[in-house]
Amino acid sequence: MNKAKILKRIFEIIPGGLSWGIIISLILLSIVYPVASSIIIITFDFYWIIRTVYLTTLLIMAHHRLSRQKNKDWLECCFNLPKYKDWSQLYQLVIFPVYNEGLEVLRPSLAALNATHYPKKKIIVVMAFEERNKAAGHNAAVLEKEFNGKFGAYLSTFHPDGLLGESRTKGANATWAAKAAKDYIDAQGIAYEHVLLSCFDADTCVDPEYFGCLSYHFLTSDKPHQASYQPMPVYNNNIWQAPAFARLVEISGSFCQMIESMRLEKFVTFSSHSMSFKTLVEVNYWPTNMISDDSVIYWKGFLHYNGDYRVVPLYITVSMDVAYSSNIWRTMAVQYKQKRRWAWGVENFPFVAGGFLENKNIPLFKKLRRLFHLLESHVSWAVWAVILVAIGPLPILFGGAFFSQMSIAYNLPKITGMLFNFTLLTSLTWIFLSRTILPARPSGVSWFKNVILVLEWVFVPFIILILGSTPALDAQTRLMLAKYMEFNPTLKGDKVL
Amino acid sequence: MFTFQRVRGFLFYLSLFLFFGGLPLILSFALGYKFNPHTFKFVKTGLIYVKTQPEGASIYLNNKLIPEKSPASIQELVPGAYKVKLELAQHYPWKGEISVEEGKVSRMDKVILFPLRPDLEQLNQEKFSSFRLDAEKGVIYYLNRENGVVYRSNIDGSNFEDIASLPENFGGIRGWEVALDKAKLFIFNPRQIAVLFFDARDNYEYSDSPVILDYPQEKIIQVFWHSDSYHLIVVTNKHIGVIESRPRALPVNLVELSKESTVSYYDSKRDTLYFSDSQKSPDGVVYNNLYRLELNTDLYLLERLMKKKPNE
Repeated sequence: MNKAKILKRIFEIIPGGLSWGIIISLILLSIVYPVASSIIIITFDFYWIIRTVYLTTLLIMAHHRLSRQKNKDWLECCFNLPKYKDWSQLYQLVIFPVYNEGLEVLRPSLAALNATHYPKKKIIVVMAFEERNKAAGHNAAVLEKEFNGKFGAYLSTFHPDGLLGESRTKGANATWAAKAAKDYIDAQGIAYEHVLLSCFDADTCVDPEYFGCLSYHFLTSDKPHQASYQPMPVYNNNIWQAPAFARLVEISGSFCQMIESMRLEKFVTFSSHSMSFKTLVEVNYWPTNMISDDSVIYWKGFLHYNGDYRVVPLYITVSMDVAYSSNIWRTMAVQYKQKRRWAWGVENFPFVAGGFLENKNIPLFKKLRRLFHLLESHVSWAVWAVILVAIGPLPILFGGAFFSQMSIAYNLPKITGMLFNFTLLTSLTWIFLSRTILPARPSGVSWFKNVILVLEWVFVPFIILILGSTPALDAQTRLMLAKYMEFNPTLKGDKVL
Repeated sequence: MFTFQRVRGFLFYLSLFLFFGGLPLILSFALGYKFNPHTFKFVKTGLIYVKTQPEGASIYLNNKLIPEKSPASIQELVPGAYKVKLELAQHYPWKGEISVEEGKVSRMDKVILFPLRPDLEQLNQEKFSSFRLDAEKGVIYYLNRENGVVYRSNIDGSNFEDIASLPENFGGIRGWEVALDKAKLFIFNPRQIAVLFFDARDNYEYSDSPVILDYPQEKIIQVFWHSDSYHLIVVTNKHIGVIESRPRALPVNLVELSKESTVSYYDSKRDTLYFSDSQKSPDGVVYNNLYRLELNTDLYLLERLMKKKPNE
């Protein structure tokens, strides 16, 4: 094994090793020295409460921005820009990487694209199918028949299976499609810097103003090619039909993205996002052997531009499907796998750490700061629910008679309970905000569902137990043991997306 | 966005301030420390946890009423002895002293406050001399020696009824006990045992009521029912024997006693008699011994089964 591979393995072991180290240390400490363990648990609980309140405040601010910019005529804003910022030169290249999603998923996504207010002749659509999917040819033909001619260009690509150096990932398919689009753009003589690329999940339905919003932010940003543009993902396509469990998880996911959009120094692309096509070509496209292509593309930009690369939040929504299945157990399994795939973003850590070692132009402080953020977010994800739910009661259980006579043994559950009651107040905020991002109740859905949408929040502790830390711990353990995950598309409703 | 980031920066540093400012307070509270504003020092304290049955008692600490009612934890107490008084209306107060140690919990969680006027209820509807309680079946038996009647009621006093009469001229009663089948009782004086049947005895194939068992040569000290509710274990001043509860039954003496005033206890679940008796050693010293006599019929059943074997 050469030095680079050894370093890569070390970086792969660090997140999981740290998470397991924290968990095992706290368990042992609870048995051997319950007083120290109690002090750490109280400190963590208090930190978590402060953090929750802080993040909820950020969520309110992000929500305020989203509400304020809702229904804004972004094209009008583009028209009002100075003439040297000519938005009419911009092309929108949209890539939909398709795994084996059916027409019932793809058709609404294209219909939403067609309903945007941006001039259609400036939109280039690439439906990126997988050649190994038997239905791909038929679906491509049907969609071409329906949508060809409605956009400036409409391309269907078929990514061959088993190319050298590739894994079966979304990034490999998207890269194949982007290269095909590049050929088209070259043939048309369009400058790369005039093309804005949006890579959308197959179920993504964009807001009619999305491209106006994207163009405006691109044209008004400082160093626009050194930025990715991240809309707010919401899961509204089927939210009224989805079961409570799945709905809560997805709403929480949307909120987390909204919170992240307020923390610009940590903000990384996620799911559907946009960027300059020029930049995409310069950074040599998405990785073709990594699952978390959506975030790795950001880090590729960050490394390419020596740390001078950022994510610009777009306070406009892109709507996707809630992942669920036919019954609660299968829904839990679907959600668990989806969250584990998201948590597999921990593979970014060895990628970024390795990149930082090679890149000598990024300031050391910036490297350390970003690595710390990356590591802290993944380790926190893997341990927080375990500490709060599982380790919290251990000092009382294992403390013994001597410990039970101490003030701290008496005060530990009392303080923990008091702090958690306080977090209930923040939950009320989340409940209120969740109501405001919902689409209008479709006809045929009972008004009683409104009541259920509020009451279902009582399931949150149960969800924390199931999906709080375990998917992240699972993903980190796999990376630590070099049991690399393969891309596993999420089953949404009766569809695979 | 710039304004938002400034607000966010403010919130971030505010959170940091709250965390690092609040954490020492929370931890010191958890560990039992109290900040003394006069000396600007932390003093390690203890706490008292008070729990009463019923709850809601007023708590006096060193004769000073505190706002909390039980159950309550009284925090931040300087180590030392404290007088505690617990008061609840219509209940007897509870008083005690408890020592508080630094960093520890002193618990008073087993306090029962008894009511001033206990719920008294008269159960008997007739005069009686003594009673026996069968808690398992929920039945009380009463014996009136004056009129010689045995009564029975439910455990709450309902269904009070007379169920048997003592034989005439049966005086000097030393004891009585109801059989395990609840169908009869024995009553004894120093020379006689009488077995009385409660209800109609159509199915009782071997006796007329009452059954009188005479011990003219011995003085009866104690009588027990065997678990079969048919045999009686009789302890006299001379023997320990067994007798059937039927007319004209003859006693079988199992043990000859040295001491007249033996003390005995019968375990009816195991059909075992424990009794004391004295023994004289060759050097003339008298020892008091405790003996066990097993009267379990399961042993005989085993013997019978073993005897059957050769015929098979």
